[in-house]
Amino acid sequence: MSIEIPGLPEDMPGAELKYVGKDVKRIEDPGLVAGTVEFIDNLDLPNMAHCAMLRSPHPHARITGYDTSAAEALPGVVAVITGEDVKRWANPVTTAPEGWGSYCLAVDKVRFVGEPVVAVAAESRYIAEDALELVNVEYELLPVAATAEEAIKEGAPRLFEENESNVILSKTYDWGDVDQVFADADHVVSETFFWNRVGANPMETFGCVSTWDTVNNSLTIHGSFQTPGFMALGRAFSLNLPTNKVKVVSHPHGGSFGGKGGPRGSEISSLLSRKAGGRAVKYIEDRVEYLLAGAGQSWDRYYDASLALKADGTVTGFKVKLLDDQGAGAEGYGTISIAKPIAAFTGCYRIEAARYDLNVVATNRAPTYPYRGYGPPPHNYVLESLMDIAAQKLGLDVAEIRRRNYIPPEAFPYTIPSGNEYDSGQYEVTLDAALELADYEALREEQARAREEGRLLGIGVCSVVEPGVFDWNAYTTVGIQGVGVPEGAKVSVDIMGQITVTVGFSLEGQGQYTLAAQLVADFFGVDMAGVRVAYAATDVAPPHFGPGGSRLGVSITGAVLGACRKIEEKFKLVTARLMQCEPAALELADGFVRIKGVPGAEMHIAQVAGTMLARSDLLPPGMEQSPEATYVWTAPGRTEPDEQGRCKSYLTAANACHVVMVEIDPGTGRTDILKYCVADDCGTRLNPATVEGQLMGGIAQGIGAALFEEYVYTDDGQPKVSTFAEYLVPTIHEVPKTDKAVIVTPSPFTPLGAKGCGEGAIHTTPAVIMCAINDALLPLGVQARATPASPNRVWDLLQQAK
Amino acid sequence: MTTKQTVKVTVNGIAYERQVEPRLTLVDFLRHELHLGGTHVGCEHGVCGTCNILVDGKAVRSCLMLAVQVDGESLTTVEGLRNRDTGDLHPIQQAFVDEHGLQCGFCTPGFLMTTLELLRDNPNPSEADIKDALGGNLCRCTGYEAIMKSVRLAAKRVQEGQDIGLTHTD
Amino acid sequence: MKPAPFDYYSPDTLEEAVALLAKLENEDLDAKILAGGQSLMPMLSLRLARPDALVDLRKIGALDYIREDGDTIAIGAMTSKSAAEDSDVIRTRQPLFHEATLLVGHRQIRNRGTVGGSFAHAEPTAEYGAAAMVLGMDMKVVGPNGERIVPAKDFYVTYLTADIDSTEILTEVRLPVLKKGTGWSFQEMSRRQGDHALAGAAVTLRLVGGVCKDVCIAVFGVNASPTRLAEAEAFITGKAATEDNAREAGRVGADGLEEPMSDVHATAQYRRGLIATLVARCLVEAASRAS
Ligand SMILES: Cc1cc2nc3c(=O)[nH]c(=O)nc-3n(C[C@H](O)[C@H](O)[C@H](O)COP(=O)(O)OP(=O)(O)OC[C@H]3O[C@@H](n4cnc5c(N)ncnc54)[C@H](O)[C@@H]3O)c2cc1C
Ligand code: FES
Ligand code: FES
Repeated sequence: MSIEIPGLPEDMPGAELKYVGKDVKRIEDPGLVAGTVEFIDNLDLPNMAHCAMLRSPHPHARITGYDTSAAEALPGVVAVITGEDVKRWANPVTTAPEGWGSYCLAVDKVRFVGEPVVAVAAESRYIAEDALELVNVEYELLPVAATAEEAIKEGAPRLFEENESNVILSKTYDWGDVDQVFADADHVVSETFFWNRVGANPMETFGCVSTWDTVNNSLTIHGSFQTPGFMALGRAFSLNLPTNKVKVVSHPHGGSFGGKGGPRGSEISSLLSRKAGGRAVKYIEDRVEYLLAGAGQSWDRYYDASLALKADGTVTGFKVKLLDDQGAGAEGYGTISIAKPIAAFTGCYRIEAARYDLNVVATNRAPTYPYRGYGPPPHNYVLESLMDIAAQKLGLDVAEIRRRNYIPPEAFPYTIPSGNEYDSGQYEVTLDAALELADYEALREEQARAREEGRLLGIGVCSVVEPGVFDWNAYTTVGIQGVGVPEGAKVSVDIMGQITVTVGFSLEGQGQYTLAAQLVADFFGVDMAGVRVAYAATDVAPPHFGPGGSRLGVSITGAVLGACRKIEEKFKLVTARLMQCEPAALELADGFVRIKGVPGAEMHIAQVAGTMLARSDLLPPGMEQSPEATYVWTAPGRTEPDEQGRCKSYLTAANACHVVMVEIDPGTGRTDILKYCVADDCGTRLNPATVEGQLMGGIAQGIGAALFEEYVYTDDGQPKVSTFAEYLVPTIHEVPKTDKAVIVTPSPFTPLGAKGCGEGAIHTTPAVIMCAINDALLPLGVQARATPASPNRVWDLLQQAK
Repeated sequence: MTTKQTVKVTVNGIAYERQVEPRLTLVDFLRHELHLGGTHVGCEHGVCGTCNILVDGKAVRSCLMLAVQVDGESLTTVEGLRNRDTGDLHPIQQAFVDEHGLQCGFCTPGFLMTTLELLRDNPNPSEADIKDALGGNLCRCTGYEAIMKSVRLAAKRVQEGQDIGLTHTD
Repeated sequence: MKPAPFDYYSPDTLEEAVALLAKLENEDLDAKILAGGQSLMPMLSLRLARPDALVDLRKIGALDYIREDGDTIAIGAMTSKSAAEDSDVIRTRQPLFHEATLLVGHRQIRNRGTVGGSFAHAEPTAEYGAAAMVLGMDMKVVGPNGERIVPAKDFYVTYLTADIDSTEILTEVRLPVLKKGTGWSFQEMSRRQGDHALAGAAVTLRLVGGVCKDVCIAVFGVNASPTRLAEAEAFITGKAATEDNAREAGRVGADGLEEPMSDVHATAQYRRGLIATLVARCLVEAASRAS
């Protein structure tokens, strides 16, 4: 059955939209502000035990012995597991590429500080932690590969001894005639960049409660899971269970931004439950565990990149050589973050040819995981910084060089050299809106005056494409195929006309439950209060993925509208029979199925649903008694990748231009943001207030990455960040007020023309702040090429300039 | 394990008595002994403000106190904000809903309790006052702009006469 | 992240507390005083501190006061920092101490954290350390052998260590009020507002005939204990607090420092640089406030 999903809000049934496109209050919020929502640590199952983990103090060591007897003897201890149990009962996690995964508890050796080595379940977390102090583990220390540079050296200590080296992936993509373009260039600008590790740090850490039914050999895990179905599948593989015997129940969670899911924590608590004969075991990761080893570190990168330019500023080529530190293996799918930039490799610009030279390396640091943006934020920082360097070289204004290179509106849909297709955009309009908002010329005048007084003022202007609605084919380079990421929704109308939407993902903060309710309410023309959104666990949910890759808003819109369409069709068939008319003569509006143009000839949807459920005798012959429908949406038109990784992957290309002014205090190296302006185009805004929330959250995280946040390791692989006193999440003082302009270029390919916007500003903010800082430093002849531009780093540069 | 001690405490106007180990933190006591799960935990070392509650009317970190330390005290947690008879949201809660001052909502109880102390003592706070009060609360989702708006809206409603007085009588 | 087990006592009077500490010491038990818990609790939860017993001073109301005693202000050790912050006496008569208080953490930390706790904890990054040195504060310590008064210059022993014996309790801190005409300044650099300072400085001075007199400069956050910068004081004394002189004084002060601490946020060299900047800025500001 081919279902036509409305491509724009005006294609929705009914004359007037009451909710879609409006700043609708979220249905999630009353429970959240009341404090009654069941986050995972609020769940207490009967007779539940509590897990704590002993973690490796060494970055690289062989485990030569365990003594857990004293811990086992401690009153209140229920079960203890070590690598020995894990070896018997579990498998290493699957990775992409294959062969870089670890067991949930270290087996034979540890590869990073914080790696779980022994786990205890006890009557309370307090006792479990007491027990850990009684465990003895003997180690034989191994030499350490502390950085990517060291790890690729000849003779470097190997993390996975079964693999030939620490190189997870080494590959070069050539898109177009790169060498020729560089040979023909009037100018080439090159620079090296360093992006230090940052991470998600949702305010709620990971948590789960596992119950292993040892009679039926099946497993239920309640937890804070971003992608429940994907997690369930992975646990089935690692824990040797049939895929239909692992059930994941995702609870509302306190943010995720990529990494929420804790494969290790889920497996360890599950194995403890198994060892404890089926008692439920709760594991709540604490913040120190999260910071040391949680699923939240991302992007540890060294870049060497160049642009080829024509004399008039036209950019013709872009070369990127990336050395990427994945940490201790690929267990967290951190590898994907080197693949995702391919979906928007050349940014907003019409660049003929590009090269991506990848070296992805394992080191004795914590493994990397997804984080909001999943790779492009550092890439954009490199590209945008090079655009500024090119502008300086040619004596062009930074806004002007961008303007000269934009993909023009008439060129869409536009295929970039790395193969993805951008759906739509008006980059110059966005630029102009941002410049106007900022009063760019006045800013430059202010800067000139300030410079005369010796003040360090800088302005950044960055234009970025924010890819949205991912498909797994974007990640082929790291060994994942796949075309299609299903997202399903079931819509049911009950006998009283009340509507329930059932989805496979839980609350995380983006407001998709509200969106689902908005859509259904407007589709049927009923009050939003009559729509409920329910969560279904993995055993009963429709196919789903959940939030990720800026896709859920668009995907759930497709799924919900698809299901609504199916119900509309059924309702029309039923009504047509009852009213003795053609289905085509009917329309759906204001909660009624009506004969077009015949006032009063109508049935309320409650009557139609009621008839369907209660009066089989009145239904068209053969019709199911089912006023409900499930629709599973996936991005249309995705293609299989070619040998250069080129394919249609991300469905939407949102676009933003940020203009920022910063001031550096020469005495302390501290950067203050004086002005922040954003023009943002993510297509149709289905709930503008929540879109704005995503934008602001992304800016705050981007400010963190540019100025504050960093996972620091010593030269010998010891992490120096283990509390929130070291990992600095921006507070209300550090995030400035922003001025915003909204541009709407609907996507021609998506439901209602919306584009992915969840990751949003983190694609752009780090780049623009770094560009602004470097603009401020320009008169001094030094430039900041490592993130974050912490006061200490900037101060060091200021000393160099003296 | 050390000897358990008695804690008698009033939370949101309700008296509780429990035997606890001295080392039990106040936030664990509230969440897991009293089953008042609205107070959340983000760091357990005093930095994030997620666990903020009022102890004798003052906003404090409940992760940095022991349960035994509140013996004889009176506490207010997020569960005490709503009107117990009508179930209506407290004006500060309502303002956060109205201005989209939350996304995942995990940090929100901490912000609400901190805001309650602020507006009780200073119903007409400047932007700087709000930042000073909320500077010790981390939110990873909102970027704070909508939180700022929420607090301003709540302040406006307080100035217009809405009552934010603690909902329980000590 | 849960504390290891300990016993808990909450004596009602200072005498009981002192006796209890002596008794526990006799039994060879490691007892720790619990005041506001804003430093001790994280250490307990991280199991960095694992005392056998905690002696909580919370019931000793007699240690919670702010008293004016002529030209001295006496603050009871268990007075919360927010009470100190809200005190009109402190704000009007010793604004430097008021400013230092505002820079300690956030309001919720100050609501619980005590004035005495900050002094007793002797953290290198504590604002109060520099305030104590520059104001010449006195600490009153009570133990089994009675009370003693420890001047600030002797109080700070080293990193996290003040001159308080394990059976003693800090009961009061005393600060002189600001003398008429004295200029003051208190400035720090921290990564985010409310964070522990990377470095900070406090200055008091008088201006006589346009030149600096009675200059006191103390810095914190750089060495194990707060430090007076005698060389910088000498340098600026008798000179006008011009930008140039102040900068040079800052440099002299920074150069004279022992090798500063180094951590994830700041290298030793950077800390030295910050001191140069902050001392210079404090001198200029203090001079502008002197009359
Ligand atoms: C997020 C955060 C930010 C902070 N920022 C700062 C900051 O910027 N600047 C700053 O200076 N501090 C800061 N602090 C620490 C805070 O100021 C503490 O309150 C203070 O250091 C200790 O005071 P307390 O009353 O909490 O003492 P406690 O934590 O109870 O005790 C600390 C130590 O002092 C001992 N002690 C306490 N009182 C006495 C006494 N009367 N006699 C003898 N020994 C005693 C205890 O045994 C313990 O060893 C911060 C804390 C947090 C959690
Ligand atoms: S949980 Fe208490 S401050 Fe973070
Ligand atoms: S709303 Fe998620 S942390 Fe604040």
